[in-house]
Amino acid sequence: MGLVMKLRFTDIIQEKTLKNYYVNGKVCGFQLDVRLGYYRGHYLSVIDELDITVDGEAFAQADIIFCLNGKEFGVPELKHQFSEFWTILAPATILVRKAGGLTAGEHEIDFKLMLHSPYMPLPGAAVPHAYTPIDSCEKKTVVLEECYE
Amino acid sequence: MSKVKLGITLYSYTKEYVSGEYTFEDCVRRCAELGIDGYEVVATQMIPSYPYISDDFIGLVNECSVKYGARPISYGANTDRGMRYDRDLTDDELVSTTIRDIRSANKLGCKIMRAQYLLSPENLIRIEPYAREHNVKVGIEIHNPETPSTPAVQTYINAIEKTGSPYIGLIPDFGCFANKPNVDSYDGALKRGANQELLDYAVSLKYDEVPMDVAVQLLKEKNADDEVMASFFTMYGFLQFSKNPDLEGLKRIMPYCIHFHGKFHYMKEDGNEMSIPYDQILPIIDEAGFDGYIVSEFEGHESGKAPEMVKKHIAMERRILGIER
Repeated sequence: MGLVMKLRFTDIIQEKTLKNYYVNGKVCGFQLDVRLGYYRGHYLSVIDELDITVDGEAFAQADIIFCLNGKEFGVPELKHQFSEFWTILAPATILVRKAGGLTAGEHEIDFKLMLHSPYMPLPGAAVPHAYTPIDSCEKKTVVLEECYE
Repeated sequence: MSKVKLGITLYSYTKEYVSGEYTFEDCVRRCAELGIDGYEVVATQMIPSYPYISDDFIGLVNECSVKYGARPISYGANTDRGMRYDRDLTDDELVSTTIRDIRSANKLGCKIMRAQYLLSPENLIRIEPYAREHNVKVGIEIHNPETPSTPAVQTYINAIEKTGSPYIGLIPDFGCFANKPNVDSYDGALKRGANQELLDYAVSLKYDEVPMDVAVQLLKEKNADDEVMASFFTMYGFLQFSKNPDLEGLKRIMPYCIHFHGKFHYMKEDGNEMSIPYDQILPIIDEAGFDGYIVSEFEGHESGKAPEMVKKHIAMERRILGIER
C-alpha cells in the first residue's frame, strides 16, 4: 500500500441534508450534500471516483448528478472540469435517481469520493502522471426526516 | 535590531477554518491578537472565488485590515501540475496559471508569492517579467525532502542567477531542517495500529540515512504493516529528518531567500519546537540581514491546539530574535 491522504476536519456527508427530490410532483430520487475531506479546494477534474450505495443498493453512474456552483455535472463529465473549482467550505449536492426515493428513517449511506492531490506526485511511483490519492469517502447512518408522499 | 518580520500563514488555522469554528475574519483576528501585521493566505484554501479574486473578497480583506491592522503579505500558490486526468499540464499551461496567481497576489497587495517545485527553473525564468511588472516576488518553496543543498535547489539557484533578478527566489520551509521524527506522524501511526518496534526500526533506518529502496526491502523482510510503511514513506518524503540538518546550506542560499515558512508541529513546555532547531535556524537568517517575513506555519492540525501553539511559536521566535512585541 502506498500513501493515501486522509484529512478530516469536517464530515463529508452533511447532517440533515438527506431528502427526496421531486420531478413533476413525483418523487424521482434522493439527494444529499457532501463536502470535500481535505485542507484546500480542488478543481473537479481531480476527482477520480465518485459513487454511492444506500442500504447496500448500488446505482448506475448515469443516475448520479453532481451539483456545484449552480451547475450540474454527470459523473463521467467531472474529469473534464479543469476550471470548475470546489472550495473547501462549499457543500456539493449529490442527486441520485431512484423511483419513489427513500423511506423516512435511517439509511446507511456509503459515499465514495477519491481524488488526487495535483501538486503532490506520488512518492516512488513507477509511472508518470501519478499523484498522491486523497480519500474523501464516508460511511454513515443518516436519517431522512420525513416524506411528503 | 533585527529586520526580520514575523507573520502567520492562515493555513495554521486549517482545522478551525474547515470545521467552521473560525471564519476568515476570525483567522485574521487571531493574528492581530498576537501583534502580527502580516499573514499568508493559501489561495486554494481560503479564497472563495479562486482562482480569481472577487471584489467581495478584496472588500473582506480590506475590512479586516482596517479593523485588525493585519494584511496579506504572501500569496500561497499551488502548482497543480496534475490537475488533468489525462496528462500533466504543459510548461505553457503552468506558466499561464502562475501568471494568473501573480495577478491575484498583486490584487491582494501581496509582495511575495510562494510557488511550488513543480514550476521548473525554466518556467521560473519565464514568469520573472510578470513578477517584476506586478512587484510580486515569486519564490519556490524548499520543502522536504529537498534541502538547500540538494541538486534540485541548485538548478533553481542557477536560474535565479541567470536572470540576476530579485523578483524570483527561494522560500525555505523549516521542515527541511527537522532533526527528529515528526511527532504527529509517529503518534498517528501508533494510534492507527502500527507495530511500534517496526516503526522505531523505520525511524532508525532514516536516521542512519539508509537508501530508501534498501530500507523498503528491509522493512518488507520484517513484514512491516501498512501503517508502518505509510509512515516510512513520509519519513523519506515530506516529513524527513536528519541528524545533521543542512544549516550550512541555509547560510549559502540566504542571498536568494525572499520569505520563510516557519513550519512547526509541536511547541514543548520549555518553549522550543519538538523537532526543528529554531535556535540554530533563526540566528542564521537574522545575521544574514534578512529583511522580510517568516510566517509561522503550524501543521499539527489534528491536535486542535492551533491558537495556543501559534502563540507559543511566535513567542519563541521573538525570544530568539530579540524582537519585542
